[in-house]
Amino acid sequence: MRNSTKLAQATVGMALLAIPAVAHHSFAVYFDSEDRVTVEGTVTAFRFTNPHGTLVLDVDGTEWRVETNAPVVLQRRGWTRTSLRPGDHVTISGWRARDGRNYMRLMEARDANGQMIGTARFGQDDG
Amino acid sequence: MVRTPIAAALAILAVPAAAQDAPPDLSGYWGPTFTAGEPDEDMLAHVPANTVLVEDTGVAEFPRGDYGGLVLTEEALAQAAEWDPEDEMALDRVCLPPSIVYAMQGPFPFEIVQTPTLIVFRYEYFDQTRLVFMGEEGAPHQAPEGAPHNKMGYSTGYWDGDELVITTDHIAPSTITNNGLNHSEEVVMVERYRIDPDSGRLEATQWFTDPVMLENNGVRWVEWEPRPGQHIYPYECDPTFALEYGAAE
Repeated sequence: MRNSTKLAQATVGMALLAIPAVAHHSFAVYFDSEDRVTVEGTVTAFRFTNPHGTLVLDVDGTEWRVETNAPVVLQRRGWTRTSLRPGDHVTISGWRARDGRNYMRLMEARDANGQMIGTARFGQDDG
Repeated sequence: MVRTPIAAALAILAVPAAAQDAPPDLSGYWGPTFTAGEPDEDMLAHVPANTVLVEDTGVAEFPRGDYGGLVLTEEALAQAAEWDPEDEMALDRVCLPPSIVYAMQGPFPFEIVQTPTLIVFRYEYFDQTRLVFMGEEGAPHQAPEGAPHNKMGYSTGYWDGDELVITTDHIAPSTITNNGLNHSEEVVMVERYRIDPDSGRLEATQWFTDPVMLENNGVRWVEWEPRPGQHIYPYECDPTFALEYGAAE
């Protein structure tokens, strides 16, 4: 995936304790960058809060959930909390969750006319 | 007043000399670039031995088990093996901010407010604020007695010519790579910032060492673009996001 550059050599000493506390989840761990999915359906819910917005879709009777980039990022790309509304017919493309759930990370959303919602597609994890 | 040629020359020289005494002004809004260039070798030359360049800045992320060349101690390996990513998607976890060790490399903007004695970093990511207490080069980095560990740590800084050097410790344990590798409260981070004279970008090396969790040390190279007039947005993390993931089938 990426290279590591060794800059030098030596070693260090010792110390104590450590209890982890993590945060915002990782794209690479949760989503498969090789597994692109596209679904077409009707919006049943849209929440626009950090750390990720979420969209719930009815796809021919099957429920899909879509996680967006952080709304602070979306706001700079033309999204608002009313970009999607329940009842809207949309086509969503993204990367599917590794655990096989009907859950994906949004790459692109298009409205019923095929127009892209927002101003840009999204990378795998640009926020 | 009549000026001799020598006096005039000295007067001219005096102005830039005075200007050079003032450090660069890093104040303002800095946005992620998504297209960072190659690390500057002169800045990397300040990095101590046994350090690996960790290339996960911006949009890049390591998958599980890949730590970008960082060598984990037995303790870190044990923690990473036990780590379950699904645990992160819980109401009491999704809004826990990461420490500055992970946060500063992410694709989010920040603002700097600079004074001679205090530099304030306001990060959009999780609404975090960081204070850097400025002093002279060579002054000891010493947190006040009883200073708490927290996600931003305790930072002191000085100007090395046109470069801002910050040392931070007292950082509460948190993730390094967001994939199971955590740092301990013994982690120490040294950053070096400068404005590239050609691109106008803010560039930084972020070096860190943690003898509890790492057999070697890491350094990241990060760049940000100036975007005058912009300001960071409130993050206001909403933990109910975790319920959405939990509801997916």
